[in-house]
Parts: sequence; structure tokens; C-alpha cells
Amino acid sequence: MKYLDLAMQEAHNLGADYADIRIQKTQSEVIFLRNLSLKKTSLHELYGYGIRVFKNGAWGFAHSNVFTEDAVITTTRRAYIIAEQSQRLKHDNGLKLAYERGYIDSYRTPHCIDPFTVPLDEKVEMMMEVNKTLLSYDQIKQAMFILECTKDEKLFASTLGSRLDICTIYIEPMFRATAITPEESQSRSFREGGRACGWEYIRSMNLQEKAEKVAEEAIMKVKAASLGAEERRTVILDPIHLGLTMHESVGHPTELDRVLGWEADFAGISFATPEKLGNFRYGSEIVNFLADNTLEGGLATAGYDDDGVPSQKWYIIKAGILNEYGTTRATAPFVGQDMSRGCNRATYYFDFPINRIPNLYLQPGKEELSPNDLIADCKDAVYIEGQGSFSIDQHRVNFQFGGDMFWEIKNGKKIRPLKKILYKSNNPEFWNSVDAICDSRFFKTFGVTNCGKGQPGQRGRMTHGASMARFRDLRIGGSQ
Amino acid sequence: MKMKDIATFVDKHCQADDYTLYIVKSENLYTRFAQNAITQHIDGENLQLSLNVAYDNKTGSAAVNQIDENSLKKMIDTAQNIARLNKPDPEFVPSEKAHKLRELEEPSKATTELKLEHIVDGIEKCIKNARNKQAKLAGISHRRIKATYLTTKNGFEGYDEQAYFSHSMTMKKGGIETKIARSLCDYDIFSMDDLITQLNGQFDSLQEPHKLEPTRLPVIIRPQALLSVLKYLVWTFQRREADEGANAFSDQIGKRFFGENFSMRSLTTDPLLYAPRFHNDGIPTQNIDWIDHGVIKNMQTDRIYAKQQGIEPRSIYNLSIDGGNVSEQEMMRKVERGLIINSFWYIRPIDMKAGEWTGLTRDGVLYFEDGKVKQAVYNFRWNEVLHDLTRRILAVGKQEQIEYDAKVPTLLCDDFNLVDVTTF
Repeated sequence: MKYLDLAMQEAHNLGADYADIRIQKTQSEVIFLRNLSLKKTSLHELYGYGIRVFKNGAWGFAHSNVFTEDAVITTTRRAYIIAEQSQRLKHDNGLKLAYERGYIDSYRTPHCIDPFTVPLDEKVEMMMEVNKTLLSYDQIKQAMFILECTKDEKLFASTLGSRLDICTIYIEPMFRATAITPEESQSRSFREGGRACGWEYIRSMNLQEKAEKVAEEAIMKVKAASLGAEERRTVILDPIHLGLTMHESVGHPTELDRVLGWEADFAGISFATPEKLGNFRYGSEIVNFLADNTLEGGLATAGYDDDGVPSQKWYIIKAGILNEYGTTRATAPFVGQDMSRGCNRATYYFDFPINRIPNLYLQPGKEELSPNDLIADCKDAVYIEGQGSFSIDQHRVNFQFGGDMFWEIKNGKKIRPLKKILYKSNNPEFWNSVDAICDSRFFKTFGVTNCGKGQPGQRGRMTHGASMARFRDLRIGGSQ
Repeated sequence: MKMKDIATFVDKHCQADDYTLYIVKSENLYTRFAQNAITQHIDGENLQLSLNVAYDNKTGSAAVNQIDENSLKKMIDTAQNIARLNKPDPEFVPSEKAHKLRELEEPSKATTELKLEHIVDGIEKCIKNARNKQAKLAGISHRRIKATYLTTKNGFEGYDEQAYFSHSMTMKKGGIETKIARSLCDYDIFSMDDLITQLNGQFDSLQEPHKLEPTRLPVIIRPQALLSVLKYLVWTFQRREADEGANAFSDQIGKRFFGENFSMRSLTTDPLLYAPRFHNDGIPTQNIDWIDHGVIKNMQTDRIYAKQQGIEPRSIYNLSIDGGNVSEQEMMRKVERGLIINSFWYIRPIDMKAGEWTGLTRDGVLYFEDGKVKQAVYNFRWNEVLHDLTRRILAVGKQEQIEYDAKVPTLLCDDFNLVDVTTF
């Protein structure tokens, strides 16, 4: 597109040390069904461009939704002027950008059926059937289904000569049943996160069967007992639950911008400081966290990040030891890395890219181990499925998690459902207490589509994954 | 194309039985800093046009951010096509009719004319202060100018303007870390010097913290902390959820469910508190008592549920918590010992029906005894039933404006449920 060249030429003429332009069109279809009432059926489109200019070690960024030659030039100049103002207050001698070269390439999320070509009828009908199933149970008083389909089309150009054409798609279905009695209200959800794929993913799911399970478990939960005071017990966590714990306690602490203090005013900093690289025991020896922005179906799988750096795969934690961070071109040099790991991503065209969690997963156990084997090997434990309450401090050390469904395990068997369960732990206690991880047959992913970070706030996305894992001696008990 | 012209175009081309057009235009200038340097610097104008249409009771929505005729036509066609193909909504409510609105208040010129260079000057002053204390500063300054226009097929038309300046900064040195944040509509009454003084006061009071075992303790909750927790209370303060038995407020309207010392209101009549002229569904704003001396007077109710129940729709558009006159010094003397809390962090629900929430303290916690601050202490995790906490209010301080749309006091609350201590 002519505007790419125009902006890069203007940045060059102004004397920018580096510049890039990201023309981005984001389309989101959201359907929200509450009981049998359609509260929202919308198609939202945001289209514009953001221009970054780097000069004397400082950034400027300006954006616009006006596509004319004048507007592109004015926006580039504005970004340059802002970079000049940024130079008044810069890091020592200014930021350095890690080495990168230019690429001419394209990337498309692999898919068979574009969700935006699927008739609305099919989507709404499917959602209605699910909610009807949920509401067919007497004690289910509220049913809620949200379906989101998003397509991001980006054209990227940089003064390094890159010209990238990227189109990613993801789909996220989520539904919830709430059982209400005169004294109590409890919910159970189907929530496996978003997935970069086509509509064929939805057609392959048996959502009706899942709806029946969700409704039945919500009713079990509303009648269930809680546990007493907190005590140390074995805890078994399913992959969907682990998607959230690893996001909060491994993903965020290993974003290098947090480590460097760049998020100190809002999202917070990190305990996982650079002197711990290569020697800090983050987890037990069987704990390996792989960052993988090439993961099929991964929400951070896009070919390149918004620095124009190609997708990569590397260990964040290897054999329990802190190995590396997720980095960007601006952060990588602070830990002596010559090149970025490609974690710089913006949400919309008007957002400045920030250091984001990559697709990140706990590698499955190497020994053959099924969930049944794992449970059978527990005398007294609590098994937690899905995601509930979650809260972690701003250094990413101390945390408390709930869940969506809870089971008491006695002598290797699930004996009863529980509710209102919370466990508390911290880094590095939590990941060091892992003594068993099921094998790769039981690996499952969870796609995060609403990772809040940054000032102004942005909504990031990435995929996590795990097989069921067992944690020994965690503090767990009932809520108040 | 101007907002009014867009509305005329939509009215001419939209064939649906009903529609609501919502336009928001904003100019945002963000300057973000960390480690005593600017890290992010953004300027630009944002535009959003949303159209909700209905054929009988079948609805559809579309939104775009372009205003050329093709984009507008696309928005209209998309919304109409969705509505035509959609299932009927049994709870459909037609768009709002014409209302008489309050006079438009023009935003402060000091805010709308604020220049990038002045914002950077302010940040420079803050960073200089941090350097003098051998500390690192992180934060953000944000100037926002916003215009809103809403029109409906049934005759509602409203226009509103708003501008504010906000500044937030965290100063850190070793284990000492504290934050201050403010936003005001009028930059003329914003004082960076006052903010720096307050930040320094907090910073200087926090020597290297000590570990204190968690227990139930009286706490002095400073306004910044109180506001953060109230935002979550506001989120759940929904009439329909209460009537359906899904939250803590079931069957409590008209009853003293909160503490007697707790009153929460939304006000259009406080000149310093921003109040929109109308909500984004076309309901004019007015003074509303939500909680009066502990008694629930009103709850948030959307237009759909309001129509079903034959009541007025209500939304919380700004927050005014009644203040008192007890100073922090007097509060410390009212109890044997306790904590002073600057901020809360990562607040999340544990159990909606019970009204139980969790969170952590942040930005410095002080332990006091016998009316005097003894030492800074590590942060805590707390699990609390928020409405029950208001029943344990022992004293209320002077109301302070923390955000352009929120005024809250300091509270002294008894038996705050601290359940864990952090490692710093």
C-alpha cells in the first residue's frame, strides 16, 4: 500500500533513526445471549494506522484513522515531534534497539472456514440451543453465552525494509450456568479460552454435551459443602486452571519490561530479576516452560511481532531453572541479548506495542501418566477444575486462587464436590511443589483473550497449555 | 463530517423500525514514564460510531471508526442485516424518547489547551524530585478531550463534552514503593506541587518494612484505597442480579444493609464532580442516593429490567461518598492499634452471593499503636465481605477528590480481615 512507503520515506526525510507503520483493521463480532434474550449482536470495526519514530534513543508514536497522503505525512511528523519531546527525559544515553533485519513476508491463521462467512443464524441457533439446555434444569436460573470472533489484518513496514502482511483470526465461545436456591448461588462455566482457527473448531465441539455437564455441576456445586480452615494438602490442577496460574505467576514475571520496572506504576514489577537468570530454582526439575509463538492455534502466533521480529520458540524455565525472558527490541539489550524474542505486541492500531507474554506452556511429563493414575496416587487431595477467583501481588510472588469446580479426593477417588475453595501460595514454593505432570496425551491449551496490561490499558492475547499436574502441600481451605 | 451531519446521514439511510446512534470522539495525549525516563508517548484522535437498529424486536449493532459515506453505509447495512437475520429478543425495549437535558457545561480551557511541552515539564519536575531522593519514578500523564453525541429514531438527541487531566506516579527505592494518582476536569486547579508533596509524605513515612503476622485489625483506609474497592462494589450493585438471587443484595432494597456511617450518591450538582448529561442509552442523569446512612435506596437498573419492573432506569455515573470530620490523627487515637493503608491491589470476587472479595495492600502500609505510627510493614492479603466492612466503620474523614468523577473520604474500619502476609 502506498501509505506504507510514504510514511517510511517521510520518517527517513525527517532523520528518524528507525520508524515503522502498522496499518491495522480489527473486526470483532460479539454475540451475547442472556437466558434466551439476545443482548448484543454486533460487528465492530477499527481501522487506522500507528506510526512509531525512534530518534536519539527515544520513542514517539502517533496514530490516525484518516487515510490520505496529507494525514499520513502529518501523523509521521507528529510522531517525530513527540520523539523529540521524549528525548528530554530518556534512559541514560537513550534506548538501544536490538539488531533486526527486514523481512518481506505474509502470515495467515490456518483455517478452513472463516468465521465471518458463517451465517449469523447458525451462530445464534447454536447459542440458543445451549442456553435452552442449561435452562431446562429447574435450579438453573441464569444462562449466559458469549461468542466472540475476531479478525486482525495488519500491514507493517519499517525503515529496515520490512513489508509484512499478516491476518490472524480467533474464536472464543464461553457459556455459564448459575444455579440459585433461596440461600445460595453458584456458577459453573464452559471456558476453554480463545483459539486461532476457523469455524470448523466450533463445529467439531459437542457443545450440547458440555452444556449438560455444566448445568449438572452447577447444581452439584450449589448444594456442595466447603472445606474448613486452611491446611496443607495435595492439590491437583486441570490444564484450564493451570492456564491462569502460569499466566499470572510465570508469564507476567518473565516479561522483561516488568523486570526492568517499566510497569511499576500499574501492572507492577517482577521478582524474577536478571541476576536470577540461569540459577534461580523457579520450579521442581520436572517443570519446563516453553515459550512458543509458532504454536498451532496459539493466539500469539502471528508470524511476526509488532517490532517486525519473527516468531520463535525458547525455554523460559528449563528443568526448573529460570532460563530466559520474553523480550522486545527495546528491552532485550538491557539483559545483554543481541536480538529480541519477538514479544512486542499492540492490541489496536492506536496502541503502542508493549512487551507481552508469548504463547507459554508447561511441557507435559515424559513418563506415561494419566489423570486417573495421578488421582489414584493421592490419599487426601483437592482437585480443581477451571478458573475462578485469582489475585497476585504486584511483584508476582504471593497469590491466591479459587477455581470453577472442586472435588475432594480420598484414597485415590473423587468422593464429593466442594465449593468456595481457595488456595494460597507463592513463587517459588508453588512450582517447586509439582511432583507429577500427566503426559502429552492429556495436554490441553487455554487461550487468553483479555490480558490487561499497560497505561493506557491494552487487551493482549496469548495461549497457555498444560497436562493435569499435582502440587504437594499447598495451603488450601474454604473461604469465609 | 460533523456529528450532526453523520446523524442526518444515518437518519436518511437507515430503514430499520428503530435505531440508536452513538458517536464518541476523543483526543488523547499519553506520556508514560518509568525508571526516570519517558518510555511511551502517544498522541492521536479516536472516533467511534455505534449503531443499534431493530426491526420489530429483532436487533443488530455495528460500529466503525471511519466517517466517509461508504463506511457509514456499511455500518447501517451491517447493523440492518444482522437485525433482519437475528432471532427476536423477548426483552426488546424501543429506543429512548426526547428528554430535556441539563445545560451543556463547557470543559475547562486550561485542560483542553494544555500542550505536550507543559505535560513533559510536569513530569520533569516529578522525576527531578525522585532523583533528589535517589529513587526511581514510573507513571503516566494523560490529557483527554471527549465529545459524545447520541440520537435515536424516537426523538432523543443529546450532546456532551468532557475534558480531564490525570497524573499517576509510583516512587520506588529499594523496598520502599508508594504511589499517588489524581485526575481533575480543570487543569487550573491541578497542582503537581501538592501531588509531589503528598507523594514525598508517603515515601518518607515508609522506612524498610517489617513483617507483621496477619490477623483481624482496625484499618485506616485512605481515599485512594477506598475508591479502588468501591469501584468493584459499584460493578456488582445491580438490581436485576439482586432480584434474581445472584448477588449479596437480594431483597435488601429499603433496608439498612450497609453500615449507618456509609452513604453513596451520584451527583449532578457538585461543580467539581464530572457528571455526564445523559447515559449512553439516553437516560438523563440526576442526583441519586444509592445508599443513605446504610439503607439501600436505589440500585443500578438497565432500561430493559426497569421497564419489566415498572421502575426508573438508573446507572452510577459518578461517586460521592459522604465525608465526616475525623482526622487521621484522631482515628489513630480511637483504637489501640491498627494499620494505615494507601492502596489496594488486584481486587477480585471470591463469592458474589456472599459479597466476599479478595485483594492485597500496595504502595505502603503503616502500623500504628497508641495513636502513633510505629513502622512500615509488609503488604497483606485480605478477604472481606464489603458490605459487612461498612458496618464496622468507626470514623469517617473529610471527603477528598481522587478522580474527576469520584470524591471519597478516609475511613477507619474495625476488624479488617487480613488473611496472609506477603514476602515484601
